Amino acid sequence: MSKHSWKIGVGLASMLLGMLLVFQFRTETNVKTYLPQFTTASELGIKWNRMQTDLNKKEEELKRLRQLIQEYNQEEELKSLRMAAGVTPLRGPGVEITLTDVQRPLKSYEDPNLFIVHYDQLELLVNELWAAGAEAVVVNGERLVAQTGFSCAGTTILVGTRKLAPPYIIRAIGDAVTLKAALTIPGGFIDSQILPFELGIKIEIKDSLYLPPYRGSSVFNYAAVVPEETEEPTPVDGEAEVETDEAGEGWEIVGEGEVL
Amino acid sequence: MLLIPLIGIALGVGIGLFLPWEIPLSYKNYTALAILATVDAIFGGMRAELEGNFIFSKFIVSFFANALLAVGLAYFGYSIGIDIYLGAVVAFSIRLFNNLSLIREFLLIRYRQRGNEQ
Repeated sequence: MSKHSWKIGVGLASMLLGMLLVFQFRTETNVKTYLPQFTTASELGIKWNRMQTDLNKKEEELKRLRQLIQEYNQEEELKSLRMAAGVTPLRGPGVEITLTDVQRPLKSYEDPNLFIVHYDQLELLVNELWAAGAEAVVVNGERLVAQTGFSCAGTTILVGTRKLAPPYIIRAIGDAVTLKAALTIPGGFIDSQILPFELGIKIEIKDSLYLPPYRGSSVFNYAAVVPEETEEPTPVDGEAEVETDEAGEGWEIVGEGEVL
Repeated sequence: MLLIPLIGIALGVGIGLFLPWEIPLSYKNYTALAILATVDAIFGGMRAELEGNFIFSKFIVSFFANALLAVGLAYFGYSIGIDIYLGAVVAFSIRLFNNLSLIREFLLIRYRQRGNEQ
């Protein structure tokens, strides 16, 4: 025993040393994988400086974005959109135009069809008003919105689905002088559409006009909103695919994919 | 002579790889001292054996005493903010080199004696 005891002692110590070395090595490699390899203080200082400038930049951006959020007023946007959609009654200065059929008795050879107000004349008038900067237009109490169209059914004019009867009173909110000038310009609407047919027209500038809201419904059965990020570019003129029938095809309307 | 510590280290490394432990980061410097103490004990034991006065109990006791003293010194140094453990490191290193040189002498003498005998 005494002859070999040193082997046991030294062997045990060596074993302990080996284990310690392995554990220590393991710790060291773990530490090196977790910590970035920066050896000197100056390197760390440079890194710190860079991060500090980054932080400052981000903080400024944050401040700017916060301000944007504060400035962005949802109420305000909603209000203007409602005004544009025509769902709120409006009041403001503008013009009131009264359009009437011919007033004098017609002679026997005159075609009465020429001396009444037609739907296309109304539409031309309204278009002229929009082009002149009208903010809202009402025809005989019917507020014009994006889907409103003029048409005629027999002897009556339809605005949207509402039947109109003369006199036609058009109220438009906007710069009254400009609106009036747009209609009375030489060669303009009155010159080309009213005077030749001896129709009655009266343009009054009003300080305060009340425009009722659009009372109809807005139902979208077919259209779906496209998210802004997937919007397709609007085709430029000429590039658009124009689906026109060849001349002489007549009025045949072919539904896509339908069996006729 | 040199085979015993080598076999021991190999065994220890094998066991260490088998066990999943690792040293907590805060004890890193203490492990360094423990490693030095073990190396010192190995060489000390070898020297004592070569001198012919190896005593197992003395070996064990001195190993633990040295290790504890070194760790105690290091701990004391940390608590008062001075790197006293460096003192233990230096002391162990000097002892290491001493022991190593003595072992070398003995081995050389033994080698020469064998050569003369032949």
